[in-house]
Amino acid sequence: MGQAGAAASAERVLIALPARDEERNLAAVIGELRGAWPAADLLVVDDGSTDGTAAVARGLGARVLSLPFHLGYGAAVQAGIKYAVHGGYGVVVTFDADGQHDPGDIGGLLAALAAGADLAVGSRALAQGSHRGSLARRWGRQLFGALARLLTGLELTDPTSGLKALGPRAQLLYALSRFPDRYPDADALVLAQRARLVIAERPARMRASRNRRSMHGGLRSITYAFNMLFSLLVAATSSERHLRR
Amino acid sequence: MPTRQVVVFLGLSVLLLAVVVELVRRRTLRVEYSWLWIAACLTSMLLIVRYDLLVSLTALVGAVVPTSTLFFLCILYLALLCLHYSIRISRLTQQVKDLAQELAILRVAVDEAEPRSGEGAATR
Repeated sequence: MGQAGAAASAERVLIALPARDEERNLAAVIGELRGAWPAADLLVVDDGSTDGTAAVARGLGARVLSLPFHLGYGAAVQAGIKYAVHGGYGVVVTFDADGQHDPGDIGGLLAALAAGADLAVGSRALAQGSHRGSLARRWGRQLFGALARLLTGLELTDPTSGLKALGPRAQLLYALSRFPDRYPDADALVLAQRARLVIAERPARMRASRNRRSMHGGLRSITYAFNMLFSLLVAATSSERHLRR
Repeated sequence: MPTRQVVVFLGLSVLLLAVVVELVRRRTLRVEYSWLWIAACLTSMLLIVRYDLLVSLTALVGAVVPTSTLFFLCILYLALLCLHYSIRISRLTQQVKDLAQELAILRVAVDEAEPRSGEGAATR
């Protein structure tokens, strides 16, 4: 792509929706996104769903990136980002397919990118009347947020947010580096900060998701907490050389 | 060491070494995975032939009987092998993930370039 093409594509926005077994939620989510952002391209990343997620998404007119088998939420997000890098999109918005994010909050993220940020994160802590989840989850967020601050000086109010907007530099970093492929949270943001990207937070209302089979809970939350701690330490201490790989 | 033991264990080591080399020759085992096995075979042969080396090694590490040194070496070797496999599996996981993502992206590109064969035939 030439210079002129690159300049023209700076406005192109891809909304990537990582989805696993979300056929019941997709219609409402895609409908809302279409209404709010008619010019954006919608990409559903089907992460090895066992239901009709891909067919439903195609039926709704969205582009579908079908992973051949289940890779995990983070890898699905990364696949969407890689797609955007191949397609030369100026902005990628990651948006959960379960209906917990509000399309109206994307505007704030895009404005943050336009104001010079490389990565804009939707934060439920900055929004009023947002669904904050269980006590354990709130504590977890605070703990990891505090750790990230301690390790890198990064101020984060909602490190687990899945609602993000990525400019070209953030896209390249996440497409090329060791993007956490299970649950990219504070570690992904620490990675961005260590790569000297400009990170901004904007308020985002989170809704209690509709038909949600939660990613966290029970024994998984223990392994999650352990993985997160370790991943944070690795992200905060890995050398520049490994960041670039 | 009694001659009978030397013959039996030396025989077993040589047999294992021959199996490993043959597996590599048949391309069943890759060369880069074989060196740890070959090293183990050679080490055990050396220790069988030169029992005095095992005895001085025992004195060096502070163990009481040579058998403990031998067991320790075996476990250390197995632990190293497991670590080696973990590293390989991590790398393979990363590569499989990258390939799966790349495949999905290419499939979208291919599907968009040429519509499904049925529809394509009708429009051409």
